Amino acid sequence: MLLDGAMGTMLQKAGMKPGTIPETLNITDPEMVAAIHRAYIRSGSRAVYANTFGANSLKLKNTEYTTAELIEAGVRIAKDCAAETGALAGLDVGPLGVMLEPLGTLPFEEAVDLYKEIMTAGAKAGADMIAIETMSDLAETRAALIAAKEATDLPVFVTMSFDATGRTFTGCTPASMARTLEGLGADAVGVNCSLGPEEMVPIVREIRANTRLPVIAKPNAGLPDPVTGAYGVSAEDFAGAMKALAEAGAEILGGCCGTDPEYIAALGKAMQEMTFNISKPGTSEFTGAVCTGPKCLTTDRIRVIGERINPTGKKRLQQALLEDDTDYLVEMAIRQADAGADLLDINVGYPGVDEVTMLPRVVQAVQAAVDLPLQIDTTNPVALEAALRVYQGKAAVNSVNGKEESLRTVLPLVRKYGAAVVGLTLDENGIPDTAEKRVAIARRILERAVAAGIPKEDVWIDCLTLTVSAQQEQAMETLKAVRTVREDLGLNTVLGVSNISFGLPNRMLVTQAFLTCALEAGLTLPIINPNQKEIMDVIAARRVLCGEDEGCRAYVERFAEEAPAEKSPAAAVASGMTLGQAIRRGLRNESGKLTRDALQTRSEMELVEKELIPALEETGEKYEQGKVFLPQLLSAAQAAQAAFEEIRGSLLKKGEQGEDRGTVMMATVQGDIHDIGKNIVITVLENYGYRVRDLGKDVPPETIVKETVEKKIRLVGLSALMTTTLPAMAETVRRLKELPDPPQVMVGGAVVTADYAKSIGADFYARDVRDAVKITGQVFGSNG
Amino acid sequence: MKIPVEEALRYMRVPKSDEATRQLAEETAALLEKQLHPRFLWRAFPIRRDGEGILPDGAGFRLAGNLAEKMLADCDTAVLLVCTLGAGFDRMLKEWEARDMAKAAVMDFCGSAWVESVCDEAEAEIRSRFPGKFCTDRFSPGYGDLPLNLQADFLRVLDAGRKLGITANESFLLLPCKSVTAVIGLSDWPQGAKIRGCAYCAMREECAYRKDGKFCGD
Repeated sequence: MLLDGAMGTMLQKAGMKPGTIPETLNITDPEMVAAIHRAYIRSGSRAVYANTFGANSLKLKNTEYTTAELIEAGVRIAKDCAAETGALAGLDVGPLGVMLEPLGTLPFEEAVDLYKEIMTAGAKAGADMIAIETMSDLAETRAALIAAKEATDLPVFVTMSFDATGRTFTGCTPASMARTLEGLGADAVGVNCSLGPEEMVPIVREIRANTRLPVIAKPNAGLPDPVTGAYGVSAEDFAGAMKALAEAGAEILGGCCGTDPEYIAALGKAMQEMTFNISKPGTSEFTGAVCTGPKCLTTDRIRVIGERINPTGKKRLQQALLEDDTDYLVEMAIRQADAGADLLDINVGYPGVDEVTMLPRVVQAVQAAVDLPLQIDTTNPVALEAALRVYQGKAAVNSVNGKEESLRTVLPLVRKYGAAVVGLTLDENGIPDTAEKRVAIARRILERAVAAGIPKEDVWIDCLTLTVSAQQEQAMETLKAVRTVREDLGLNTVLGVSNISFGLPNRMLVTQAFLTCALEAGLTLPIINPNQKEIMDVIAARRVLCGEDEGCRAYVERFAEEAPAEKSPAAAVASGMTLGQAIRRGLRNESGKLTRDALQTRSEMELVEKELIPALEETGEKYEQGKVFLPQLLSAAQAAQAAFEEIRGSLLKKGEQGEDRGTVMMATVQGDIHDIGKNIVITVLENYGYRVRDLGKDVPPETIVKETVEKKIRLVGLSALMTTTLPAMAETVRRLKELPDPPQVMVGGAVVTADYAKSIGADFYARDVRDAVKITGQVFGSNG
Repeated sequence: MKIPVEEALRYMRVPKSDEATRQLAEETAALLEKQLHPRFLWRAFPIRRDGEGILPDGAGFRLAGNLAEKMLADCDTAVLLVCTLGAGFDRMLKEWEARDMAKAAVMDFCGSAWVESVCDEAEAEIRSRFPGKFCTDRFSPGYGDLPLNLQADFLRVLDAGRKLGITANESFLLLPCKSVTAVIGLSDWPQGAKIRGCAYCAMREECAYRKDGKFCGD
């Protein structure tokens, strides 16, 4: 299928004035736009994209037109021109021009709403199809596609822009794009803009390998010269180079920046001679995968699912969830990633935690820092949908089971958001005690999933591990079921492994043995604790034996690396280092270990007062004197944090909360997006034992006021980096000071001065992190 | 492209003698260099002048104010430039803030030093494309009286959203965070007007160096 070429390039050639918003021409000069469509149609385009690329309510804020007006006008022009030859008129949709959370500040649902406005107007004006193009952020692309699917019934083409490194600007891979967008129901996917046809070949090849959908390629005419503005590739060369793209798997072709009707005519001619490596929708066997933007993980080998983010039996995690402390969960995620997990299970179900708000929040927070695919683990379908909506990529869902109610509620959500799903082999009658009956449930789940439109490779089966000390004969039934599901149904298998050994001495041995058996039976997706070295050793060995670890490279590396790292904390402890010294030197592992040891003989309070605080104080003083620098100050703070974690854990075990030294609320003011300074202050304050409520960046004054009142906050810290955001700081302070019982306010940041702080009515000016600690100590009347 | 670690340490105000921080900075720089691909984009515009200021011809906006007037007084061409480390930097910074705040802080400084050196590299390319021309010092929206809101215009005219993935928010802050917009004037003779110096700097009242009696160009 032949598409059209550039619109922007043509409008400039036709005399569009610099600074004009191109979409306004749909009303002010419709003939200029129509002439371009007609030229493309005469060149053979079977679809033309309306002049609506940048028409959205953010970009049009300062124009006299509404989004709907410009879109309807644009689509009508394209439709009228296309009618002459029966070509399709596409609603053209580009990026909103602002970044979504977490990189930017636009919330996902607001992006969906902005896109829905566009899609609705386009459909109303009679567009035949929707083309979402030039996208760079997978989150935004998902928002646009979800909006298109929810607001219209039109076919949707989606293309993203990749650069010469093979990634989009936000790091999304072609494979991740293809997997995610096919899952969400796109009708064709591909690549446009940014590169010339030759550079696009490897990208098209990767997309082809990761989708059953038709693949689109709309390259630029090479790169523009910065002095003359001319593009480097001629029409003939462009058309010639497109042959390689057809062979790589693209079958819907067109042009982007720098191309014109001459290029499209040449391309149309060349297409008659091309060999297309085309798709066979819905029929081919396919390797499954889950992904995030930066990482696509095929499920054709052992993949470890990290199980730690699940509050069952974990007091510290329960507390973190109750206190909205997502940082703690992010740390857990990072630790598992570093230990070798391939996917992370995310479960936040606990009494007192609102899963519907918490689950998506945790998914977003983890995704901001870790690029592993996630398995969303909940029994609440509303929370499941909330999390699937914001998840960037193709997720896994844990879980559906053989109960009618579960199949009915979970499978449609899995289908809509294009996830993979874990099917538990239990139903209304509980967990069957024979392998045959469990396999029968697996079969039923698979049939229902396929009927719901979920491809077979996205169905994973969990044959369920039971505790061997309680139901001894069940261990072998589970293994038998795993083998049958793998061999007869050809599906991936999931098992939570560690349950097996509950209640036995030397649990690890039984768990290791069971894991070894299960892997041999055909377990591909073990759910385990990757932080347990002995368990990951079994995985490493298995990967050697089954040939996944080619040349035993990862195995050798694993054991070459481990030896020294393991020795150091013990060595430090043996060398007689004190806790205070470990903190001063910023040694995290040692600090944790020494605290654990010290807690055998000394009280929590004593450690805090005699070791932690003095060590932090000394480091702080040296920082003031210019004897140590910011990195060392922060390292010491983090070493103290490791000690605090041990102390907190010890107190929780005894059912105590620990001393509350006071809660500080911190925020980077509205409009400001640079928050590392604020985050540095938070790290240090937390390690003085203060609780910190972090409202994040770009926080409106009303949110800060509301939270202050609700949480009865006595000290608010505000930061601003740029002169343009100082008014927002002043406004926030003003509103806080109008409260009947106003909190104290400290302000800081690159452009803030003591005089400015005073002039806006702030109580304190914190020049640096050390100042912030002193002020906090002053407000809460303690040392520090 | 290499990160000027010395420069990053200077931004941190860490003395040369501090070996531990230097080591951390070098480690962090290597990590960034391995994972990121900084990019820049520029376009040359003939300068037109009307009564109210300097117009890069075809850009559709004015370089308003005394700074631009003075810097470009002798110039016939204005090059508009954007540089960025890309969103990958923001992502790595977030990750390291959660992993190790000390390293994140160092990373932030390395990023600032790096994006400046990317601008230097862009400038070198511009010089090589205009042999025989002389360049002014580089200056940016937010310096002196050159309005910060020009950031959005620079992005639009260079199509930097589409080509480099750079956006500006409503306060005219750029995202990804290590992104820079700048102007370089081209003239037929050497340029006397200098930008380096506190008098031109919008930060002069708040600058940490000045507070300590030092100068950022030292």
